[in-house]
Amino acid sequence: METITLRNVTMQFRRATQESGSLKEWLVQTLQGRKRYELFTALDQVSFSAQRGEVIGIIGANGAGKSTLLKIIAGALRPTAGTVCVNFAKVQLLTLGTGFDMELTGRENVYLNGALIGYSRAFLDANYESIVRFAELEGFMDEKVRSYSSGMVSRLAFAIATAAADAAPSPAAPAPEVLILDEVLSVGDLFFRKKSEARIMAMMHSGCTVLIVSHSPGVIQNNCSRALFLDHGSLMADGDPKTVCAAYEASRKEGRV
Amino acid sequence: MAYLENRFVISQLTRRELKRKYARSRLGIVWSVLAPLLSMVILSLIFSQLFKRSIENYPIYYLSGYLIWQALTGATTSAMTALVDNRALLLKIKFPMEIFLVTRVYTAFINLLYSLVAYALMLLVFRIPLSFALLAAPLLFLFVFVFSLGLSYMLATAYVFFGDVKHLYSVFLTLWMYVSAIFYPAEQLSGFIYEVIRVNPVYQYIHALRTLVLGASLPGASAWLYMLAWSLAAYRGGRALFNRYRARIMQKL
Repeated sequence: METITLRNVTMQFRRATQESGSLKEWLVQTLQGRKRYELFTALDQVSFSAQRGEVIGIIGANGAGKSTLLKIIAGALRPTAGTVCVNFAKVQLLTLGTGFDMELTGRENVYLNGALIGYSRAFLDANYESIVRFAELEGFMDEKVRSYSSGMVSRLAFAIATAAADAAPSPAAPAPEVLILDEVLSVGDLFFRKKSEARIMAMMHSGCTVLIVSHSPGVIQNNCSRALFLDHGSLMADGDPKTVCAAYEASRKEGRV
Repeated sequence: MAYLENRFVISQLTRRELKRKYARSRLGIVWSVLAPLLSMVILSLIFSQLFKRSIENYPIYYLSGYLIWQALTGATTSAMTALVDNRALLLKIKFPMEIFLVTRVYTAFINLLYSLVAYALMLLVFRIPLSFALLAAPLLFLFVFVFSLGLSYMLATAYVFFGDVKHLYSVFLTLWMYVSAIFYPAEQLSGFIYEVIRVNPVYQYIHALRTLVLGASLPGASAWLYMLAWSLAAYRGGRALFNRYRARIMQKL
């Protein structure tokens, strides 16, 4: 069953060549007829489809269009041209520490961050204990996150982001069809990393389509069944992770010369 | 936007805004009541010496205006920058971006509730008799809330494209404050400026609160309709503008 279908998706942003950040500049430019735009193409005719159970890695340099692609799949942006077939209600986007606030306590951040990820209050109440246990932060939850070490912060962030993996699917947190992991892998120390990779594996094997975004070819090769390589908005390669990552490495070397 | 559907995330964001404000102080949330109370005491001390012949219970007259004015300006000035302030977050979450704007307006009105505690104390101090007319006050605050929300949509949309709006608005607020008759009796004026004040919806909101508190009576049906019309017009207008530019706001951010 196909969960994602993109056909000739193009995303263009209109960028003013002279950015008018102030009203005065805007008035002057408009009156003089100097208002010019240039089109910046973030994605150029990208087509691919994904099946249930596939684990797809997306690789590419900064500015290659990875995050634009994710936003389109998540339904946050609508493409300029092309068609997108995704059930947006069943897409779950996992990012670490979305909206963490250093001035709040660990407990308050679980609720704030959880709410921003899209969990309900009932879900967070039910899973609060297991989140704390997974993050190994018992006894620290009423302290401000400001006093945490960076390892503690990322452990907590990871535990919240992946809390749904541990809980049985319920109306409060329905099982997603598409799971997007945006630089979520490789946090914490070696021990925690193993634990977190096991959890990610469990999520992957639950039968949804998983998209993994990473700068690191290693992460993609270890975890994915298929890889996409984006460069300057175009889909350069699609297929076996090893071959695709090799193409990515090759283009990076070329770029450096 | 489905406000009810997103109430959990809005309430969590509001908690953050409220907690942050007094995060580094020892008294914490107590300041939410203490700060408006202290400024109300100072203002009544100063203003009870002015205008005292022309207006009965002048401090309360003034504080009623101050209360609504603070809620409106607090809501709109903070909501104006909400989208830009939360730019990084906005692109990572699946919620509609309005939640940040609504959160700021909501926060300002939670602060209004705290100020109302201080206001109630001042009513006791000045021995203002409580009447059943006060039961209409929540409806009035709801109107002010909807009006502020509409205005916030317009300002936040404009602010994404032009940073200057912030400065223009603060200048405009000064003008607006003077035509809202917050600290002087509007009845003393006449001619054109009096007409401006009467048309001004903020003056109407303030005047209605004074009627409830000091007059112990309800404003007339036409006054209610006038206020309702302004609230709905501001909200509809704000939403329409925001929706029209929604895609471009997303791109600009």
